[in-house]
Amino acid sequence: MASTTAAPPGYFGSVLDIDVGGAHRAHQLAPAHLRDYLGGCGLGTRLLLDHAPAGIDALAPAAPVIFSFSPLVGTPLTTSAKFAIVAKSPLTGFVNDAMCSSHFAIAGKLSGHDAIVIRGACDTPGVVIVDHEGVRVEPAGELWGLPAAETETRLRARLGSRYRVGAIGPAGERLVRYATLSHEGRHAGRGGIGAVLGAKRVKAIAVAPSTRVESADPAGVLTLARELRERSFGPATAKYRELGTLANLLAFNALSTLPTRNFREASFEGATELSAEQLGELRERTRASCASCTIGCEHIYEARGGGGVRVEYENVFSLGPMCGVADPDAVLEASRRCDELGLDTISAGGTIAFAMECVERGLLEAPWLRFGEGHALLRAIEEIGAREGIGDLLAEGSRRVAAELGGGSGDFAPQVKGLELPGYEPRTLQTMALGLAVNPRGADHNRSGAYEADLSGELDRLNGASEHVAAAVQTEDRAAVIDSLILCKFLRGVFAEPMREWAELLAPVTGWDVSADELEQTARRIVLAKRIFNLREGWTRADDWLPERLLREPVTLASGRESALPRERLSSMIDEYYALRGLCEDGRPARATLESHRLPAD
Amino acid sequence: MSAYDEAMRTAAVLLVGGRSSRMGESKAELDWHGQSFADRIARILLRATGGPLVVVAAPGQRLPSLPPEATVAVDTNEGRGPLEGIAAGLRALPDGTVAFVSSTDAPLLHPALVEHVIAAVDERHELALCETDGRLHPLAAAYRASLDERIQELLDADQRRPIALLEHARARILDRESLLEAADVARLDPELGSLVNLNSPDDYARARTQALPEIEVERFGLLRDGGRADGPPERVRAATLGQLVDLLGLELDDHIVAALNGEQVTRDRLLPLVAGDHVSFLTADGGG
Repeated sequence: MASTTAAPPGYFGSVLDIDVGGAHRAHQLAPAHLRDYLGGCGLGTRLLLDHAPAGIDALAPAAPVIFSFSPLVGTPLTTSAKFAIVAKSPLTGFVNDAMCSSHFAIAGKLSGHDAIVIRGACDTPGVVIVDHEGVRVEPAGELWGLPAAETETRLRARLGSRYRVGAIGPAGERLVRYATLSHEGRHAGRGGIGAVLGAKRVKAIAVAPSTRVESADPAGVLTLARELRERSFGPATAKYRELGTLANLLAFNALSTLPTRNFREASFEGATELSAEQLGELRERTRASCASCTIGCEHIYEARGGGGVRVEYENVFSLGPMCGVADPDAVLEASRRCDELGLDTISAGGTIAFAMECVERGLLEAPWLRFGEGHALLRAIEEIGAREGIGDLLAEGSRRVAAELGGGSGDFAPQVKGLELPGYEPRTLQTMALGLAVNPRGADHNRSGAYEADLSGELDRLNGASEHVAAAVQTEDRAAVIDSLILCKFLRGVFAEPMREWAELLAPVTGWDVSADELEQTARRIVLAKRIFNLREGWTRADDWLPERLLREPVTLASGRESALPRERLSSMIDEYYALRGLCEDGRPARATLESHRLPAD
Repeated sequence: MSAYDEAMRTAAVLLVGGRSSRMGESKAELDWHGQSFADRIARILLRATGGPLVVVAAPGQRLPSLPPEATVAVDTNEGRGPLEGIAAGLRALPDGTVAFVSSTDAPLLHPALVEHVIAAVDERHELALCETDGRLHPLAAAYRASLDERIQELLDADQRRPIALLEHARARILDRESLLEAADVARLDPELGSLVNLNSPDDYARARTQALPEIEVERFGLLRDGGRADGPPERVRAATLGQLVDLLGLELDDHIVAALNGEQVTRDRLLPLVAGDHVSFLTADGGG
């Protein structure tokens, strides 16, 4: 499809709207929408607001799933091959913008659309195909039940290597509320996108490029791409290149920021065995990169019995220390099985750790499910993926499990808005504590990088105050823009003045005379748009909060001192956050804030 | 933790005035392995108390660079003894505060001793001061800020010796034995170097020949210098974080930070190091 005349360079100005049980059509996107929301998470959020019926059940056929591409994808700019998938989360009931990487982003955009909306439901399992012939839904019965990676392999063998495939695993088919969509082994992990597609009986979406996209100034883009490539080899990305995100584990352990045994502790006695330093020496096999990436952050370790496992900090934190498991074989195997089943490792590990504590406290009858037991961890993952035994309950996520079990278990369910907490201890990272509490998609470390401020040496990470609030807002704003352009966050350290430099990257692609100030406004608009969606779905201030355990129980530091996050401190930080965001005391946007950001009032 | 402990706020007062007559030059400005005495002691007091920190100086006194957290109070009656300076410092602090008061000639001061002395000011006491070999150390002591008025009354009555305060306040004396009963003090400052005042050039020269504190160093990720992840930590002698990173060949830039004893993350080269310290070096980017 050629660009519409109204579309700026870098875009097609088109949304492809597919009812998998019926018709499809492309409709035009207003250029103002593109400039206001950029692409990726920003544009996806705006489209969700426009396309999702208010109050819709996230697993209902009419609930849309939006694959949102971005202006930079398809350019030679390093790390730009990423896409967002935005939907109402079946785990939280609020906005969910999960991201994934690699060739699907490029092929999807070059299908000639800035976004693809999928809604409706298939009568029988199907695969959605978008290519030069248009849109069709083919039967996928023989793929139902397969891991996503195998689905991808078989579909590409059937359709051709030009096709790029995003697929769900068995967990998505069984509507596990934290099921993922996966592409080339990478996952749009958080919030249950896999379940939303599973509810539509969509096993996969396959896209093939059928057109080209032009930049306003191709030579200018190429020059910037060369410069950025050089910078991507520097010290700001060295950690990701050399050790991967798992490098966090041992350092976080030393700083007492490694959540352990369902946040009862903040350091883990078995951390060394699970560390990148140790595993890298004993097991590492290879590194891998996404398409169009010069960093190459993926570190693939050898699992027991052979085969590789792609390992990230969050996998190891959630399946290791969080569950008290120090055996690297068990943790790597658990990670591998989560990948195959299509489970978000953070929510899986968090929910299992929570269940382990419930068993200890006599709230849950599963005597085999004990902290530290690798085989119990593996059994729980299998049961969740199959929704069998205790897994049928745990597939609902820790918040729903707590509601079912009662007995005060909600106080130690490790979640915010229903999304399980990532591996950043809020009591010892108090900027991050705020970021986790107020983030629209729940406890999330990707849309709020507030831990950066805590680890910068500029702020007292153990005593959150006003300066922490400003830092949390700044990192949230930066995430909103970088996730909409899109560039990989692992590149962010190369930008000394991110908004200005990002504007300079966007300008030659789109032809816009865009400034850092405009991107600051765009960031605020995107963050507010997510909040507006949540408000529509029933959000109240009480949802911007942390589990009571984190506010009631201090955590012990390596020095023997304790660190606490009093509820008054968190509440005060939230008040200040609302004020900085132009929100009222109840967290609702002031009318003037809505108007100044051209956001809908209802 | 008792309700009393929860309510107690800690602070520090550093007296940098005084004539330094035996030393022959301003003790506050003397060099201690790359930083001034005053700066080092001020930062040790901040480590131990978290602040606030009041530096009491003589009128017009030239001061070395001090940590940004320090506020300077001027002892307008300078020359009338340390009690004037103590009163000036306490006066600048909020009510309800217990402040450790230090002189500027004790570069071997250890935070563990400061913390122990402050903790000795419990609900039954208004000040706690150290005593060694029969000598009281009013400038290695903790005072309730509320004592400022009583001190002023003594000064108005021309009672300028700090010892006079003992008769007018509920004081606790911490002799060598009781100081060393504190496990941290016994382990980290067994010779009570904290109470050594350097008064003369000879004292100063002797102190500078002493071995620097041995610091346990741990490097993570790319900063590791070989060895297994579960191997023993390195041990390096250094007086400040800056000296330590120089010895290790590291640079505290945008990409590398340090953590002291698993607590605060910092890039402050002037952070004073003391016996028992553990410094971790890690890449600043925690993304993942």
